[in-house]
Parts: sequence; C-alpha cells; structure tokens
Amino acid sequence: MDEGLIPSPLIRDDEIFLRMNLAERIQHILLIATFTTLIITGLPLVLYEMKIFKALFAFEKAFYIRGILHRLAAVIMIVNILWHIAYSLFTRRGRNNFKELMPKFKDAKDAFQVFWHNIGLTGFLYKKGIFKACFDKHPYWLFKEEPEFGRYNFIEKFEYLGVAWGSLVMIISGFFMWNVELSLKFFPLWVHDIFIIIHGYEAILAFLTIIIWHMYNVHLNPEVFPMSKVWLNGKITSHELRTLHPLEYKKIAEERVRASAKAAEVK
Amino acid sequence: MNVRTLIRSGLLAIGLVIWIASAGLAAGDEDCLTCHGDKDLKSARGQSMFLDSDKFQASVHGQAEIACTDCHADLRKVKDFPHAEKLKPVDCSACHDQEAALIKSSVHMQPHRTENPIVVTCADCHGTHDIRKRDDTESSVFSINIPETCDRCHLERVKIKNGGAFILQYQQSAHYKALQKAGLSLSANCVTCHGGHDVKAAGDPLSRVSRKSIIKTCCRCHVGIEKDYLEGVHGKDFVRGVKDVPVCNDCHSEHGIISPTDISSRVYATKVAAVCSRCHDDESLGRQYGFLTSRLKTYSASYHGTASKFGETRVANCASCHGFHDIRTSSDPKSPINAANLAATCGQCHPGAGVNFAKGKIHVVSAKTENQGSHVAKIIYIIIIGGLISVFLLFIAADLFHRIRTRWTKA
Repeated sequence: MDEGLIPSPLIRDDEIFLRMNLAERIQHILLIATFTTLIITGLPLVLYEMKIFKALFAFEKAFYIRGILHRLAAVIMIVNILWHIAYSLFTRRGRNNFKELMPKFKDAKDAFQVFWHNIGLTGFLYKKGIFKACFDKHPYWLFKEEPEFGRYNFIEKFEYLGVAWGSLVMIISGFFMWNVELSLKFFPLWVHDIFIIIHGYEAILAFLTIIIWHMYNVHLNPEVFPMSKVWLNGKITSHELRTLHPLEYKKIAEERVRASAKAAEVK
Repeated sequence: MNVRTLIRSGLLAIGLVIWIASAGLAAGDEDCLTCHGDKDLKSARGQSMFLDSDKFQASVHGQAEIACTDCHADLRKVKDFPHAEKLKPVDCSACHDQEAALIKSSVHMQPHRTENPIVVTCADCHGTHDIRKRDDTESSVFSINIPETCDRCHLERVKIKNGGAFILQYQQSAHYKALQKAGLSLSANCVTCHGGHDVKAAGDPLSRVSRKSIIKTCCRCHVGIEKDYLEGVHGKDFVRGVKDVPVCNDCHSEHGIISPTDISSRVYATKVAAVCSRCHDDESLGRQYGFLTSRLKTYSASYHGTASKFGETRVANCASCHGFHDIRTSSDPKSPINAANLAATCGQCHPGAGVNFAKGKIHVVSAKTENQGSHVAKIIYIIIIGGLISVFLLFIAADLFHRIRTRWTKA
C-alpha cells in the first residue's frame, strides 16, 4: 500500500477512530440478517427449476413457513430502513454520513483511475517508450497515483446507493406481490407480472452483487482477508484511515489544527 | 282275531309304515353321514372326506333341505355303499341355469393360454357344502369378503400382465378402506367393477373395465359424475369415440384409487398438473386435437406452479381454474376460464378479483409475444446484471493483478 500521505503530527499513529457507531453496526447486522433470510426464502421461487431447493421444503408446511419468514424479514428490513432514514435525518453523524455518501463526479473519475492504475497498461507503454511524448504532455493518463478517497470511496458509495435503490424496488414490487388483490385493483395482470419479474431479477442482482462485489471488498481482498472487522467493532486505526481514506484523515488533521489554533487564541 | 287285536295290529302297521316311511325319507342323507360324518374319513389320496353336518345345515342349501343326492346326482342310482371314489363333478346349472350361462362367457370358463389352464368352477368362489347367500356376512361372496375370495387365486396362481402388486394396490384404495375399515358393504370390491359370473379379462373389449364401459361402471356408484363428465370436452370426445381422451382411470388410477385429498393420490393438489400434462404437454397430441401444449412448463413458471411444486396445496392447480370432470373449452360460456367468468373463478381465492385479472395471460408460452412488458423488464435486467457483474469481475481481476504485480516487483 502506498503511504503517500504524510502522517499528521496531531494524530497519533495508534489512535483509534470510530468508523461505525453502535447504531450503524446494528443497522448493518439487521440488514445482513434480513437480507440473508430474504434470499434463502425467496431465491428458490426464482430458480424454481433447480432441484437443490426442493430439499429446503422437505417437510409439510415448509412452503407456508417460507412465506411467513419472507414477509417477516421484509417487515424487519423495512423497519430497519425507516430507522436508518430517521437516523440520517435527525442525527448530526447520520446527516454527515449521508452527505459523504452522495455520489460526486470525482467517484466516477476515481473508479476509472483505480481501474487503469491497477491494470498499469499506460505505465507499461511509457516504460517501453510507446506514446512517450503524448504521456509526457498528459501525465494523468499514466495513472501513476491511486486516487485519494474521502470517508467513503466509490465502492462503498456504490454499495450504499445500490442497497437504497434495491430496497425501493423490492419494497414496491414486493408490496404488490404480497397484496395481489390490491395490486390487481389498480393494475392489469400484465403489470402485476412485471412486478414479479422485477422482484425476482432484482433479487438475483442484489444477491450476485453482495456475493461477488461486497464479499470481495470486505472479505477476500488480501488487504482485509479474512475479514474486515469494522462491522463488528466499528473501529479503524489512524494508519488505516490514512491509507484507505486519506481525505478524511486530512479533514480530521485540519480540524485539529484549527482547534489547536483556537485553543492558542483563547490562551 | 277280535276287533281289538285288529285295531291294535292295524295301528301298529300304520305306525310301522310311518316310521319306515319317515326313516326312509331321511335315509339318503343319514346314509351319507354314516361314513362322511366320520372326521377321520380320508380318500385314497389322503383328502378329508368329512362333512360337517352343522355347517351344511346352516348353508343355503341345508336350509332349503336339499339332499346330498340332489347335487351329487350320480349317487342317486347307486345302491352299493361305499360308492366308487370318483364322482362326477357337481353340476350347479341344473338349478342355477342363468348363472351358468353367464359363466360360460366369462374368462373363468375359458382355459387360459398357459401350460396349465386354470378353469374356475362355482365351488372356487362359492365354496361347497357351506355355501351361503350373497348377503350373508359369512358368505365367501359377501361384498366385504369378495377381495379375500378373489385374492386366493389372483395374488399368486393367476399371472397377470401388470403383476400381483397391481392387484395388491387395491388394499391401499379408498374403496378397500371403506369396505374393510368403515364396513361399507356398498363400496367397490372386485366384482363391483369386474363383474361376477360374467367377469372378463380387463383387456377384453366386452369387459366392464374396458375403455368403452369404464365410465358406466364407475358411474353406477358415482352417479352424479357421469353427467358432469359427459358435458365436458373429455366426455363429449369420449362419446364421439376419440381414443386418446381420458376416462376415469386415466387420471384416477384403478386398483389403488384414493381420495384426491390424500397426498398419495395422483390427482392430489400438487400432483394433478403432472397427470394433466401427460397429454397437455404432448406436442403430437396437441397438433392432432388442436389444443395448446407447454401447460406444465408455463404453470411451473407462475407463482401457482412454483409454490405447488414446493408442496403448497393452497395455490391454484389445473383443476382450480379449469374444473375437473366437466372441463370445458374457454369459448364455452359455462367454462370457468371463459373471459366472462374469470373474475369469479379467480375470486374463489382472490376475494374481490375484478376485470384486471383477465388483462394478461396465465399460461405464457412466449413472453416475447404474449407478455411484452415482462419480456422487456427481463431483458433490461439481464443486461444490467450481465453488465454490472462483468464490471465487478473486471475490477476484482484488475485489483488482484495489481497486487500480484507489485508484490512480484517488490520481491
């Protein structure tokens, strides 16, 4: 890991910062529990042709219980989301997190930059002397540096917004699937059929995103393997903050500079 | 000789005559029992020749005071006893001529095409000296006892194409349970469906269980169903002589028939789709008779079908919407899936179902043409999922590539 950022003298290297507070961690754990339940009790209906799922419904009433569990998990998830919305509206920390999570043009640029930095194609070409003049003129395209991330990098923002979008889609389509009679009071059958398709495919999308993207970033990624513990203890060291979220590190350092200047003024 | 002596001797003579005469009437049976009343009497082959007089007296023939020689007619003229060991078989037709005529046309009287033809006689089913009336609960042909009587030969001695297990299935059936457990003597036993004296092989077109006759046979008891069936598409085609149309046993099975509410039933809520789709997923039958196929496939893809597959019985199966005995085409105004009746049909489970239930397709064979909204949504999602997952994998690959490269160059 590059350690481009110079440590601030005002931040001890062994200092611990709170990345996820208790409320955020509980919200995250609830999300894991409800999401897993929803996937297990829902996916067999989408992939009904796969024989393995038959084993899940080996006993009588199993399918009935599946439905109850699915709806129960959905209700808990919705309550969790409502709590999160209230938290993001009415607490200072929540509001700040939400603001930090909003996508900016920089995030797209970051993603682009990270990708080409990792591939290292342009650097390789430069080393071989190909397009040398062009790269000398526009050094950005060499992607020599990794971008600096704020409190949330583009991956985390993408995941957060993905959950938000997915939840919205699933709650709306799921609500109408739960209340078929109500749905068909407003919509013709073919629209209701679209709800069913959307609910199923959005589920597959969410499932694959979590399994592939989130699991890689928080588990399999060699940097955190076997698991980032932030979701359990909420803690991040100042070293990790400096390397993974340098812009936030800078912000904290600047705040401390300002605070100490103020303190000096008061004196 | 005085008058007194005359009267005395006269009375004596009359008494003697009466005694002799009365003794003489019963003399036949009594004579037989002198030997056959001996429990240890055995034939040369060791077969017991004992006749239980009490049992005979209780039998229908005993009650009617039929004498031994009425049946064993060749003994009538015999004067010297013991008589010859080999007697002619008893000929019941002398009295039971109608039954005898029926038996002649039955499979029981036709030597089977095997090495050892089995010929069934009256005694095989009815017994011999202990024959009782058909409605006597002790009778071997009393309805509750019939299965046991038939099984004596049909489980092992008689080989049938489907094997003995096929016959044994009857013991799992609702008919047998009603007979044995509930004691309902009216429930179907072997004879009810196959016939008694005139029983034919199941493959015989004249058999009561042949395709041609099965509807009549079942509906002798299930009276209300015949009308329903004959009004439906299956029944109408059956009357026209269409050979592929299902009759009772095609859906309900035969010996092992059980209540549709029993999970082992072929027409149990979650299994009925498999029964219907034997024909309604058959492309060549569909072409021949002009009906739509892929019914199971399209049903399975719906929530109803998926849930049913996972054992949920409360969701709609074929019969919930199409009916069963009187299934009609959707163009029939009486059909539950006629556009005008859909709201009511769906309303059985979905209270307040309105016209919107009819605005769409249930069995969607090709979403592209029949359910465009869903089709477009599906395609959009497939593109999004494919695109996003590709991007994720590219980023992961690039990340790993970078890590390997930098570690390698450092080392």
